[in-house]
Amino acid sequence: MPSELSAPPVFRRAVVALSGHPNGQRLIRLVAELAKPYKAELIGVHVVEIDWSMPLDMDLAGRSDEIQQVLDVAEGTAEAAGVQLESVLLQARDVGAALVDEAVEREADLLVVGLAYRTKFGGDFAIGKTIPYILKNAPCAVWVVREPIPEETS
Amino acid sequence: MIGGRRPLQGRKPADRRVRVERPHAPYFRYVGPGQMVAKAAAHEPKTTVGRSWARIRKAAIGRPLASEEEAGERLTKKKALAIFSSDAISSSAYATQEIIRVLAVAGATALAFSVGVSVAIAVLLAVVAVSYRQVCRAYPGGGGAYAVARENLNPLLGLVAAAALLIDYVMTVAVSTASAIAQIVSVEPDVEKWTVEVAVVVITLMTIANLRGLRESGNIFAIPTYLFVGLALLMVGIGLSSILTGHAQPLATPNAEAFPPGTGLSIFLLLKAFAGGSVALTGVEAIANGVPAFKPPEAKNAANTMGAMAILLGVLFIGVTIVAHAYQIQPTVNDVPTTVSLVAGTAFGSGSVLFVLFQASTALILFLAANTSYNAFPRLGAILAQDGYMPRQFSYRGDRLAYSWGIVLLSAVAAFLIWLFGGKVTALIPLYSVGVFVCFTLSQIGMVIHWRKVRDSGWQWRLGLNAFGAVLTAVVLVVVVSVKFVDGAYLVVILIPTLVGIMLFIHRQYDASRRELSVRHDLVFETPHREERAVVPIPGVNRAVIQAVNVARSVADDVRAVFITENPADGVEIRERWERQVPGVPLVVVESPYRALTGPLTAYLDVLDAAWPPDKDAPITFVVLPEYVARRWWERILYNQSVKRLRSALLGRPHTVVVNVPYRRDDPGLFEQGDRRASGQEPPPNP
Repeated sequence: MPSELSAPPVFRRAVVALSGHPNGQRLIRLVAELAKPYKAELIGVHVVEIDWSMPLDMDLAGRSDEIQQVLDVAEGTAEAAGVQLESVLLQARDVGAALVDEAVEREADLLVVGLAYRTKFGGDFAIGKTIPYILKNAPCAVWVVREPIPEETS
Repeated sequence: MIGGRRPLQGRKPADRRVRVERPHAPYFRYVGPGQMVAKAAAHEPKTTVGRSWARIRKAAIGRPLASEEEAGERLTKKKALAIFSSDAISSSAYATQEIIRVLAVAGATALAFSVGVSVAIAVLLAVVAVSYRQVCRAYPGGGGAYAVARENLNPLLGLVAAAALLIDYVMTVAVSTASAIAQIVSVEPDVEKWTVEVAVVVITLMTIANLRGLRESGNIFAIPTYLFVGLALLMVGIGLSSILTGHAQPLATPNAEAFPPGTGLSIFLLLKAFAGGSVALTGVEAIANGVPAFKPPEAKNAANTMGAMAILLGVLFIGVTIVAHAYQIQPTVNDVPTTVSLVAGTAFGSGSVLFVLFQASTALILFLAANTSYNAFPRLGAILAQDGYMPRQFSYRGDRLAYSWGIVLLSAVAAFLIWLFGGKVTALIPLYSVGVFVCFTLSQIGMVIHWRKVRDSGWQWRLGLNAFGAVLTAVVLVVVVSVKFVDGAYLVVILIPTLVGIMLFIHRQYDASRRELSVRHDLVFETPHREERAVVPIPGVNRAVIQAVNVARSVADDVRAVFITENPADGVEIRERWERQVPGVPLVVVESPYRALTGPLTAYLDVLDAAWPPDKDAPITFVVLPEYVARRWWERILYNQSVKRLRSALLGRPHTVVVNVPYRRDDPGLFEQGDRRASGQEPPPNP
């Protein structure tokens, strides 16, 4: 049992949530390293949240270089780590629901999300509403990869 | 880039999402706002012929490498020694022979001076190598003698050095390939009638190996080079231990040349032997030309490789000469057997496995001597192209990050020389070492000035060393030229200035075009306010013409069609159709009784220009040419001949832009709208 717990978990297809935060590259590298030995499939998903006051299918994400760059940088990072990453760009009302639905549709057995560390106001992990939603609704394993606390990195 | 959007239903009714297509993703990657990097798919050819050619290239030279993979293509010191030093190290196989052949003219006793001469050459080698180690550190961008002379002396002398080196590299390929084949011929005489063919095949194989990139060619060429070095060191070691233990006895040289009577040893003869043996130094400068090919720290690695190469060459050269002298080996008729093979016979025993292996590796390394040129010539060509002295193509790197144009040019010229001289390049050998000593001398003088300018720590001794080297190499240059002038060195006097002249001509052309095209940095360009008009020469009324007229209407308000005909009746018929089918675009019918097309059209444009009000800026005239896209190669013969004539006649015309509007049968494109309206398929526009 202890050896099973210490061994890295095996997955076949993982959906990786990409928020555009700098921590995302670290996240990709980590997942890529674990995916490589098992030739697991990686799907990077970036969700652009559309306000209820605007039409969901408005032409927003497709036009923005910055939004495309989030996925392209992730693709490049995975490629540098020796793994292919399929990139998916979504527009949705709720990021958590879109990620879970994409994971369901893709039959993913892992959903990876990053958790950023906010240095303001004494420093804290602001978990928000997306991660709790995913933890509650995802039909597969969920990894929450937190950003290193500055004291750790120093 | 506007992506398509596909709505998707979530698990809950409110959880709809839209997947946004990313059409750029297969071809480009965003690295910043408005900044993209092209992926491999963007470079893939779209046509069948292009794809087939790409497949052939991939099979022959490997998959294309991205620029970021360049670091992986850099050379380790071990591979660099094999790639850049095969020319220099291979000369240890024949340099001793060159010395004793000259000294033998003065009789058997003169052969005793062979060791002294070889030591003197080794001293020269040491000076040159130390000097070039300094060049590697001072000029890490490569370029060797050219870079040093251009910066410290003047650009013209830099070009002289470059021209001398280019000639020398071509000669190295031609001569070493031919001499390696000569080695094969001495074993298998039947090969002689195929000399040119074998040489061309060898050069082609070497070209392919080098087009595959530095790292792979290093892998291919490292084994034979190190095999030769290992066996040669073993041979020298055995020979020296035999001498020390007193086992070395005079050898009866087979096929020995008879000593000519009555010629005494003179200073001139010693200098001639020194000049002959100096061929050992050819190829020494190659490392300094290719510093950027090394793994970081480039300059340090290049300098260390230069040191290793000089030590290896010096040890092998002096070692072979000492052993040859101890066994009193004499020059042979037509160099059969060669001096080095006789030395190998004393060490390994004639006919032994090691002896045969050594002979094979000697033949191989003579082939590989050409490979040094394949690395040095294209790099020098690239540097010259970057400086505007050679066509720009020479600075472009091919699929495998090799300077493909330089590699192909070198092969073509070397193969041409071999074909021209029927594979017997002995007539060209006198040119061989002249270029090298021109470069040595210029680079040493340049380094003297360099040290005077920079005055780094220890600059005095460095300057002294380079000054000593400059004097030494200048003396050797004078000796080499005077000894070999009649034999062919005079050609250098013709070839170097010719090449320099060509390079200066190219530089002047680039300079002139750069001046013409340059834009001042302080200027800001607003949208131009010149009027536009479009003229569409038409051969009749067809879909391609209508498409061209539509394009013309989108770029100018003033559009007119011109129909040039020799038959007035055709004009009437076309006008009736034109006015009915293309309303709003005036048609000018020009009758051409002399059946010309280009002349009447340009004359018509002249008339339009002349009629333009002189107080207004001349308008931009778009000449819009309808063109039918050929789908098969033979269709290109059938169509667009008139368009080609018109285009070439109009290209130099002032204030005129020639626009080609291709019509593709499988892509109606711009024609579609008018077509539908005419056939009643499209509903009438809303009032």
